[in-house]
Amino acid sequence: MTARYCDAGALELGAGLEVLLGAVLEACPPGDEVEVAVASRAVALELPGWARVAGHEVIGEREEAPAGRRWLVRVRRGPTARVLAQPLPEPGPPAILRSGQLRTADWREGIRDVPEAADPGGGFVPLGAVAEAGGPAYGWNLNRREQLWSDDLAQLTEGAAATQWDATRDVPWDEAGPLPDFLERAVCQVVTFIAQNEYAAYYVPARFMAAVNPEFTEVLMWLASHVHDEARHVEVFTKRALVNGVRAYAFASAERSLHSLLEEPDFSASALLLNVLGEGSFVDLLEFVSTHAPDAATAAAARLAHRDELRHVHFGVTHVRQLLERDPPAKEKLVAAAEARAARLVDLSGMSQAVLEALTILAAGSLQPAQVSEGAAAVRDLMRRLAENRVGRLLEAGFDEPTARHVSDMHTPNLM
Amino acid sequence: MADHARPLLVGAVAYHPRVVTVWEGFREYFRDAGLEVDYVLFSNYERLVDALLDGVVDLGWNTNTAYVSAEARLEGKALVLGMRDVDAGYATVLVARAGDPLTGLRDLVGETLALGSRDSGHAAILPLHFLGADGVPIDEVRLLRFDTDVGKHGDTGDSERRVVRAVAEGLARAGAIGDATWAQLRAERFPEADGLQVAWRSPTYYHCCFTARPDLDPELARRWLDLLLGMSYDDPSLRHSMDLEGVKRWLPGDKVGYRVLTRAMREQGYLPASPVE
Repeated sequence: MTARYCDAGALELGAGLEVLLGAVLEACPPGDEVEVAVASRAVALELPGWARVAGHEVIGEREEAPAGRRWLVRVRRGPTARVLAQPLPEPGPPAILRSGQLRTADWREGIRDVPEAADPGGGFVPLGAVAEAGGPAYGWNLNRREQLWSDDLAQLTEGAAATQWDATRDVPWDEAGPLPDFLERAVCQVVTFIAQNEYAAYYVPARFMAAVNPEFTEVLMWLASHVHDEARHVEVFTKRALVNGVRAYAFASAERSLHSLLEEPDFSASALLLNVLGEGSFVDLLEFVSTHAPDAATAAAARLAHRDELRHVHFGVTHVRQLLERDPPAKEKLVAAAEARAARLVDLSGMSQAVLEALTILAAGSLQPAQVSEGAAAVRDLMRRLAENRVGRLLEAGFDEPTARHVSDMHTPNLM
Repeated sequence: MADHARPLLVGAVAYHPRVVTVWEGFREYFRDAGLEVDYVLFSNYERLVDALLDGVVDLGWNTNTAYVSAEARLEGKALVLGMRDVDAGYATVLVARAGDPLTGLRDLVGETLALGSRDSGHAAILPLHFLGADGVPIDEVRLLRFDTDVGKHGDTGDSERRVVRAVAEGLARAGAIGDATWAQLRAERFPEADGLQVAWRSPTYYHCCFTARPDLDPELARRWLDLLLGMSYDDPSLRHSMDLEGVKRWLPGDKVGYRVLTRAMREQGYLPASPVE
């Protein structure tokens, strides 16, 4: 058999010779022979032990004439593959770039589509990579596309990454007051209520993060951005409450509502209850706060959070709509989830009076009767918009009108 | 299910916690293939050989010195029931500092030679034998012994690392270790291996093997060996255990490669005087 020739220069084991031989032998079919030229007898002497451990075999060695020059060691490639997988495929076309950007929506192109179902035991295999056999079996709980997917995920995740903000520096904290005492108390109560709700918006997606099959990488990216957004919302509204030293209540009624949100085990039902209904309501609430805020810091915090909530609502609406399109009977499950939550919250009648009063004072900016009257009108208007928009989002999510009204009516008076 | 009331019991030495992983994996393989196999771990090879001879275990996963002891006590009638691909063609290498003109054992006269644990075939018993076979009077070589693996027959590699360190530090002119150990130390970039070179390589011999008493049911022995040789390194459920055991392919094994160690152990008083070969 003619052998390939490999000049190893002055390399020795531990200094790169094993790397060179590994690469050369890996490229050979089993049984092929490689003649390796090494610099000394000492290197020739250490190769048989290496070859045996690496699954190859040294079948001869001789000193190259004239004596004292190089040594030639013949190595036969062993039968085993180092990696327990199919050989890597030939390189495919390069990824699509648009204006120099590699967009997430394009990254599956020519590789693999989003699967309808993924192996619940599958591991962490980056898109395009070839999985080696023999890894431990995982037990993912969310493995079907329809349970998780929304066609806008790539854009939504990119939008989240592109519009990150900083609750420490992007809010003009030095413009948070001073406000009259009654007004500062009202603002503190409103932002404390919002922060309290944002905790739930954090925990609901966070509970699903570790259950999603890693094959749905876009979903992982989305949930990570969602949770990150909510952590920052908790941060920014907490900071607003703290900034002037005034304190407010975290109400038990809100807690009961939020607790029931965390009890929902289904991903899609949670998307309906949290993203469509809860965060949908918060879009309207935050818009109200940013419009009527008596100080620039509160207005900025509400405006920044509002931008994030729009994305979260968009995800929920698209996910639910696509689920209902693919699997119409899923409607029953979603409605049942809303009914079950409403049954748990049956004793919750109307939004907390203290929060309504705080919103009214916030909008009034004064305790003068005329301004208070305007504030009360603004809150009434908010309540009307909340109800209208809730139905609108449910219609957009694919529910028929009677169902949309039924689900909207059952929604928690706590807003989230 | 096996047609035996008792599973085939394999004894092995727990020289490292990974031995448990290895044998859990192998046991499952044999059981899935219909042969009930279980394992018992011992703290040293002497106890394993005693257990094999006393009938506590049916098979011993022995180092070469443990095998030779068992073989002697069984008067040459032990059964060899498999070895790793790496066990055939094992060698001892002599390592010295780079640039040292030392090329053979005779250059060690008047020098210090570092050796691994005294019960290690490849790092102590065989190097001494090869010295004698090359005509080097043992009393003209100073021995620097590192007896840190005694009972494990050098399986932890600890004493061999100390040998390499001693040579690197100039405490010994050369050191004797297994060629596979040397390759491993080089591959893991063991700092003291840098700046050393292989000065000499011994003739090859065998290392570990599965040893059984001659009264083992031949049918059971055949099934064991068939399944052992049937293990595939390409089987994902076996690869982890096989990697930990350092085997890519099992060989049936024979006794030819143990002759030199048997002579060496008799010379050095490890075996009874009556020759059994």
